[in-house]
This record gives sequence, structure tokens and C-alpha cells, in this order.
Amino acid sequence: MWTNRATTMVAIVTTAFTLACVGVFLLLYVNLLAAAGWLQDDVKIMVYLEDRLASDSVADIEQQLRSDQAVASLLFISKEQALGEFKAQFPSESHLLEGLGQNPLPASFVVALSPPFHSPDAIYRWAERVRQVTGVSKVDYNQDWIDALAKVIHSIELVAIGIGVILSAAAVTIIANTIRLTLFARRDEIAILRLIGATTSFIHIPYLLEGAVLGALGSALSLVMLKFMYELFRQQMRATGRFAGLDNLIAFLSPSVCLALIVLGMGLGFAGSLVSIRRFGEAKA
Amino acid sequence: MALLEQVPKMIQLIHVSKHYDQRSALSDVSFEIGKGEFVLLMGPSGAGKSTLLRMLIGAEQPDEGQIFVHQKNVTMLRRSEIPYLRRKVGTVFQDFRLLPKKSVFDNVALPLLVQGISSADIRRKVTEVLRAVGVDHKRDQLPAGLSTGEQQRVCIARAIVNGPVVLLADEPTGNLDPALTSEIIELFKLINARGTTVVVATHDPLVMEQVNRRVLTLSQGTLLPERRVKG
Repeated sequence: MWTNRATTMVAIVTTAFTLACVGVFLLLYVNLLAAAGWLQDDVKIMVYLEDRLASDSVADIEQQLRSDQAVASLLFISKEQALGEFKAQFPSESHLLEGLGQNPLPASFVVALSPPFHSPDAIYRWAERVRQVTGVSKVDYNQDWIDALAKVIHSIELVAIGIGVILSAAAVTIIANTIRLTLFARRDEIAILRLIGATTSFIHIPYLLEGAVLGALGSALSLVMLKFMYELFRQQMRATGRFAGLDNLIAFLSPSVCLALIVLGMGLGFAGSLVSIRRFGEAKA
Repeated sequence: MALLEQVPKMIQLIHVSKHYDQRSALSDVSFEIGKGEFVLLMGPSGAGKSTLLRMLIGAEQPDEGQIFVHQKNVTMLRRSEIPYLRRKVGTVFQDFRLLPKKSVFDNVALPLLVQGISSADIRRKVTEVLRAVGVDHKRDQLPAGLSTGEQQRVCIARAIVNGPVVLLADEPTGNLDPALTSEIIELFKLINARGTTVVVATHDPLVMEQVNRRVLTLSQGTLLPERRVKG
């Protein structure tokens, strides 16, 4: 590996830049996904109750909702509270309700679902089920908003996968070229090893390991670069004073994702070596 | 030939032909070499000697015919089996093919290393063989620091270190002067006397003069009638 030091260093640094690009997109993906997750957490479902429902029935419905495993949190809003909120939110329109003589706003439960039930399908199924409960007049939530959010998350995933595949292919090509140069520089040595009875694995294993080490080193270097850029970005955000507090919300890749990136680099390096060895073997055959 | 029928066959070629594009490198070549024989393969450059030797170690395949080495049909061997054939067949080259950045000792140790022999055994065997070929005192030097005769001795040591049943030499004296040629031929005779079958491909008449053995002559890929020379 250290026979062609310059080539090896260039390969590590180029692989690091390529994988750093993968890392940037991964970082964007992780943070956008987290942001989408917060938005999904924020989706509230309104369960409106029939008018003049007895307090026992309200308690029954509340008990039923609380024991539902899909329900993460529950808040009861009485008719009076609803009216109070309406007046607080729309003070100029409050005279509209005065003419009616009685409070027309229904009592309701504001429900937040737990994360496994955040998909549009799960929300729809849950709403349909609760609609059938006696005493419930209407279940309301923003279907379009939830569908749009799901589409955005899916698009982010597709773009991240696409970019990841393209950049990974680039990393494989870079490492494959480096190993090819090493194989070319050592072609006489390899020919001699073949003639004296070295098996294919005896000849190939060192080059496969070299590719894997190159990939792992490139990947580790890319993480260092990424961390540096991440800290710089946060510092800039803090310094400008805009987006106050947002810098604390942006997360770096978790240790397990970092480890996965190093293993990915190792795998890409191994694959690059394999490509070169195959081509070299075919050329010699 | 009557004698040959009594000894086991070490090498056997049956109607072997090889073509490169339109040119015929070997044409319907058949012969047998018995265990423990010393055979010279003569012929001018381009006669097909190197092609034949390369076929004996599975580096090339014939277009037609069968080749047996140590009772193995080389033409039928899988690619993964070829290294094991080459461990039984030592090869000596005109250009020595030593690794320039490795010492004499490391170069000779290479065939043992690829077989996974223990380092203690490697030390013992390499020392033995370096003594036998007379370059033990140069064991720590790089090939570039050796004379051509010494480099050829190291190449021979590497070829015999794992006790092959056959030793093939392709123009082993091509880069040597007459005195060194004699020394190398004597070394081959010594190796042959220990029971190894030796095949030396050469176009050097000096080699033929010094070896009173069986001679196979190739001319434009065809095997000429056999003869025996007297040194």
C-alpha cells in the first residue's frame, strides 16, 4: 500500500471528498427527516362530540381513547373552552355567535397519535374507526397536509438514495483505479508469484485488503471533514444571529451512522479492488 | 526408448498443436520423458521451445492434443488447480525473474511462503538450498548486487527449494559466458542426479556439448527425429 505513496494519498483524499459529499446529503437527509418527523408529531386530530352528550358518555369516550395504543396524548376541550378560544382568536367575529343565543361549538378531544401511526394510511384507518364510536359526531384532520408531507419525505429518500448510489459508484471507480495502478506496478511480481505456484487468493487478498483499508481511511477522513464543516456551519449560524436556536436543532450523524459510513467505505474499497482484480485477471488470462 | 518404457512417465505430449493467428507454434508434437531423465530441448529461436515449456506449467493451452505432467492431464486442469501443478514443477528463466526489492533469501523463500510453510522450515530449507547452489554467503544481498551467474544460481535455488519432481529451464545460459554456462550445467546435472527430471530448452551448442543426454529438437514447431549427443 505504501509502495505508491502519492497515488495512495490521492486515492484516500479523493475518496474522502466523494464520501464527504455522500455524508453532506446524509446529514441533510437525517435532519430533513427529523424536521418532517417533528411536523408529523405536530399533526393533531380533532374528535368532535355530539352536542349535549352526558358527562358519563364523555368520560366513556375519553376512557376508550386513552386505552387506544395509537393515542399518544389527549386533550379535552369543553364547549365553554371552545367558545373562549374562538373569542380569544377571533375577537372581531365574536358578535356572530351572540345572536345564536346558545353556544354552537361542540366539545372535542385533541388527539396526537404515537409515531407508528403517523403514516397517512394509519391516520385514515384510525379516524374511520373512531368515527364509528357512539357519541362522536365528526373526526377532522388535515388529510392534504399529511399526504403532502409523506410525499416530501418519500422524495427526500429517493433523492438521497440516487445521490448516494452515484457518489458510491464514483468512490468505487477511484479506488479501482488506484488498485489498478498498484497491480500494474507489481505486474512482474504477480507474474512470478503465479509461476511459483501462488494461488489466486494468495495473490488477491492483499489487494482486496488494501482496497478495504483505502475505503475505510477515506471514509474516516470524510467524517472528520464533515464534522469540521458541520461545526463551522453552526458557528456561522450563531454568529449571524439569524435562525436563533436552530443551530441546536441541527444534529450531526449518530455514532452508529458514522460507523456504518466507515463500513460502507470499506465495502466500496473492497468492491473497487475486486473490479480491478477481475479486469487485471482477464487481461492476463 | 526400450529403457524409457520401464520407467514411469513424468511428461507426456500426445499430438500437441498450437497456433497463434495464422502461425503454427507447435505442430502435432508427441513425446514422453521418463522420471529422472535429463532432456535437452533444442532448436533455434521461435522453434516453439518456450511455448512448449509454458504449456507444461499450464501457462498456455494447446489447440489440440493432450499434455500429462506427473500423471496429471494439464489440459484438463481447472484454473484453481494450476498453482498446485506449479509447486511440483520448478522453473528457471533466462532473465532470472527475481524480485529486485527482496533479498536473495526472501526470493528463494517465496515458493515456500506461498505454500504456507512455517518460518522455521523455510529458514532450514532455504539455507540448505543456498548452500547447495553456492550462494549462501550472498543471502542478505539484493539481486542487483549479484553477478549474472549468481543471479541464475538464485533462480535455480528458488526453482528447487520445494523439491519439485520436474525442473524446467528456458534458455538458462542465454545470459552467461562459457565458464558460467559449464557451472550451471553441472548444477543441473547434480539436481538430476538427486532424482529430479530436468528439461533444459536451449539453442546454445555449448550446452549440448556438455550434456550427454537425450535431445529433442524442434524446428518451426515440428519435432525432428530424436538423437543422443556425446559430450
